[in-house]
Amino acid sequence: MSVLQFVDVRKQYPSDSVAVRAVDGVSLKVEVGELIALVGRSGCGKSTLLNLAGAMDFPTSGTVLIDGQSTTGLDDTMLTRLRREKVGFIFQSFQLLPNLTAAENVELPLLLSGGQKARENALDRLARVELDGLGHRYPHQLSGGQMQRVAIARALVHRPKLLLADEPIGNLDSATGSTILELLRRITTEEGATIVMATHSAESTAIADRVVEMRDGRIISPQ
Amino acid sequence: MIRLFVRLILRPLRAEPVRTLLTVLSVALGVAVVLAIELASDAAAGSFRSSIETVAGEADYEATAVGGLDEQIYARLATLPIAIKVRPRIEDHAVLVDTKQSLPLIGLDLVAHALDRTSASPTVAAKGELILATASGHKAGDTVTLRVNDHDHQLVVRATVPSETSFAVVDIGTAQRLLNRPGKVDRLLIDAAESLEPALKKALPPGITLAPFGARTEENRKMLAGFRSNLVILSYIALVVGAFLIYNTISVSVVRRRNEIGILRAIGMTRSAVLTMFLAEAAIFGVTGILLGVPLGRLMAEGAVGAIGATVQNLYVSSQPGSIALSVAASLKAVLAGLVVTLAAAWAPAREAAAIAPVEAMARGRKDYDTGIRQYRDLMIAAGCALLAYLAALMPPIGRRPLFGYLAAALLVLSAALATPAFVHAATRLLRTLLRKLLGVEGLLASQSLDAALRRTSVLIAALITAVAMLVSVGIMVGSFRETVIQWIDSQLQADIFLRPAVPATADRFPTLSLGIAERVAALPMVAMVDQFRAYSIHFRGLPVTLGSGDANVVRQRGAFKLLEGDPDSAYQAMLNSDSAIVSEPFVNKHGVHVGDVLQLPLGEQIRAIRVVGVYTDYSNERGYIIMHRARLLRYLPDPAPSNLAVYLKPGAAIVPAQRAIEAALADARVLVLPNQTLRREAILIFDRTFAITYALELVAVFVAVVGVAGALLALVIDRRRELSLLRFLGAARYQIRKLILCEAGLIGLLATLGGVILGGVLSLVLVYVINKQSFGWSIQFHVPIAILISALTIIFTATLLAGLYPARVALSLNPIEVIHEE
Ligand SMILES: Nc1ncnc2c1ncn2[C@@H]1O[C@H](COP(=O)(O)OP(=O)(O)OP(=O)(O)O)[C@@H](O)[C@H]1O
Ligand SMILES: [Mg+2]
Repeated sequence: MSVLQFVDVRKQYPSDSVAVRAVDGVSLKVEVGELIALVGRSGCGKSTLLNLAGAMDFPTSGTVLIDGQSTTGLDDTMLTRLRREKVGFIFQSFQLLPNLTAAENVELPLLLSGGQKARENALDRLARVELDGLGHRYPHQLSGGQMQRVAIARALVHRPKLLLADEPIGNLDSATGSTILELLRRITTEEGATIVMATHSAESTAIADRVVEMRDGRIISPQ
Repeated sequence: MIRLFVRLILRPLRAEPVRTLLTVLSVALGVAVVLAIELASDAAAGSFRSSIETVAGEADYEATAVGGLDEQIYARLATLPIAIKVRPRIEDHAVLVDTKQSLPLIGLDLVAHALDRTSASPTVAAKGELILATASGHKAGDTVTLRVNDHDHQLVVRATVPSETSFAVVDIGTAQRLLNRPGKVDRLLIDAAESLEPALKKALPPGITLAPFGARTEENRKMLAGFRSNLVILSYIALVVGAFLIYNTISVSVVRRRNEIGILRAIGMTRSAVLTMFLAEAAIFGVTGILLGVPLGRLMAEGAVGAIGATVQNLYVSSQPGSIALSVAASLKAVLAGLVVTLAAAWAPAREAAAIAPVEAMARGRKDYDTGIRQYRDLMIAAGCALLAYLAALMPPIGRRPLFGYLAAALLVLSAALATPAFVHAATRLLRTLLRKLLGVEGLLASQSLDAALRRTSVLIAALITAVAMLVSVGIMVGSFRETVIQWIDSQLQADIFLRPAVPATADRFPTLSLGIAERVAALPMVAMVDQFRAYSIHFRGLPVTLGSGDANVVRQRGAFKLLEGDPDSAYQAMLNSDSAIVSEPFVNKHGVHVGDVLQLPLGEQIRAIRVVGVYTDYSNERGYIIMHRARLLRYLPDPAPSNLAVYLKPGAAIVPAQRAIEAALADARVLVLPNQTLRREAILIFDRTFAITYALELVAVFVAVVGVAGALLALVIDRRRELSLLRFLGAARYQIRKLILCEAGLIGLLATLGGVILGGVLSLVLVYVINKQSFGWSIQFHVPIAILISALTIIFTATLLAGLYPARVALSLNPIEVIHEE
């Protein structure tokens, strides 16, 4: 079964004159363990697609199925539960909470969902992204690459099936970027997680199982 | 510059209308309260006589004597071979029975008045006639029932005089008859050149006081100064709390614009321009707040004037609350206070903005709203302030004003404000685990975010701490005072039944009972003893005092004859057999008199030497009492009419039947027959009414603080929108976001309540043992009104929690996707 499925999904934003069609009739299936690179020019709708995939937003029409469950018609509680159980997010600008230590940042999703053994899991996750021993540091005491590792650890701490990454290496130099990409690649194989990654970099597309290209809200390849 | 100001300061203010409004509201309330108290106490105290002067006319001098002047003196002055004009006057009070309106009753020589062209009331009222102010609502020709002391009289309204305050004017003969004071007048008004003063003095007996006209009013004002200054100081609390909030608002504004300021500095903006810009922002809050605050204060004054007026009457002097006049002086004071406070509060953050170096701001630090806070240095300064406060509390008053006491209180507030960051930091750290256990991750995050935004939250908490502390300390002071007074009443009110005329009495107005009443009561079978008490309002060393007389024998046998100073037995003997008196504690504190001192008192036409033989506790008024044995005082002031009676029943006699019997026996007289219980209740009611206004002031301050919490939380939510949105991405449900903000509000409330109780406890010591003692001369026992405080604190905590609701709503209305992609 697909982890993520889009069925003729449209997303329109009301605008001054004509409505912006950020996602315009996308159908897509993502299978377990795949690493997908989502590419396209700026403004083509990548981020919008990821938000729809992460149950952060509803489609205007069409259906988004996360692990077989449609997001349409769900209330906030159910959407939140879906997100907690199945989805992890990674952002271009890391988005760590500056007042929490690395370990506290990582355990946050578990705490929010009332999970057990949060600290233990968090430290374990940090070790897996090769940050053992740095859990007590605050974000501003970490490098950009380390921050993104913390973010990845945080995105994975609750063992989501689907990892959504919006330009995860956009703010990093190319060397650091490559190690992060390697890490993501490893995760898909080791943990069987599925990753959908919006990206501009050629290196990212190179490691991807599949490259999905968008233009003006539509997927143009492969159809 | 103007355009920059509009872009950088005004636009953001407009973008957050609710927060801007809340800040303006806090200034407005602060200014309004200051103005309201100023206006209301002016109105309550400022009209001792003004309304009377407009009808009765003014003079150069007035001659008065304790117990009234003999008419013969009037005659003697009139025949003096010097160019003077003398007018007799009687001043008392009466009640219009149909409307229950209490009003001044003035007796004038109306015939002479009518001949005098300068007088405003050229009307003659014959015997049985009176002239009324239009305020009383009667017309010429009406028959009205006037209650004077314990009798009702029918009088015909001869004419009315336009006036907003009520009064009744009768001919002097009528007044003497109504008041049962044949041959006596209260004062003589004398028109005479200054050069004639020595001649006048020589012509008058030594016991008669000749004073420039209006000097008494001045004395009353002087007496009220202490009361007023305490009230005025309380009225500034809300503004001080507002100052914290302005400080916070401007700080937030500076912190948010660090980048912009850096860029502007880099492209050539001067430091002073930056400073001016942020001071101007504060001025916007100040000016708008003032514009709202002045009319609001005028409105609030209406509500306050009644309460203040009642207090003045109970504790000091009878006055008719005048109408509230929005005077330029009072308005100016409030406007100035509002502006100075806002600008002073904005000064530090504005200076900080000006000090931002172009590079520093552009290379923006991590913890952006936690700049420039030095907990440990501040903690040291706080300790220094506390020490200074302690020293100030030990200092004596300056001219009966507890200036050092106020200083101590101010230093304590400052000390608490400086210690707040360290307190919040330590408390959030300590509470973190507990909060996580109790409230889950939201509690943990709340404590962390308060600590992270320490600079903001501590200012906020300091504001709330100040307000809560004021409430707690004044609550403890009033509670202590109340408890003390209750105990005092219990020991003081020994008689079973009390009698007094059925007209209002005040601190300086003592209506009398008709002759014979005491005897008729004493003749009743169940009555064991009757003490007749008589009081006069006299002047001692330029201040009003109450001179009273009672039967020392009765008090000795049945009442409470306890002394703070002096031996009861010898004092009692001395009072019976010599010109001796006991005096009340406030009298001693006011005049520095001690046992053994001799007071020169004008009694009747002569000055008498009265020795002080004891000091007793009294809380009934602040003027102070001099009490003599009735028989001794009657020698000098022979008017035997008592002001009230204390009736002691025979053992076993029940109170209610006795009360009925007395009422039946005195059916022809308008008297109040009050059982002991009723009088006690009445006394406590008066007490509570007296302090109602102080509670109202405290509550406004708390309200301002809570408004500030709402505003500041709102700013905090907006500045942390990225974090809050991220939490949604990480799996936080909407209710969790709401809970987080409410946890923050609750934590602020909790810490402020905690800090407020600590500071309030310390402040209450200063209030009870320094400020109250020095300004009123009352020693009161420390008593914490726990139930009241707990309910007040619960209300405050709840209000703070509720103040988080709107910010929580704003937090929920954020669109996480947009916020996260803003970067
Ligand atoms: N809240 C919104 N309201 C209106 N239009 C929006 C909104 N969010 C996105 N859009 C529009 O939708 C389109 C797709 O935006 P999206 O952020 O998905 O692009 P993107 O592919 O992620 O671009 P980039 O590579 O620059 O991040 C754009 O034209 C954008 O202007
Ligand atoms: Mg994007």
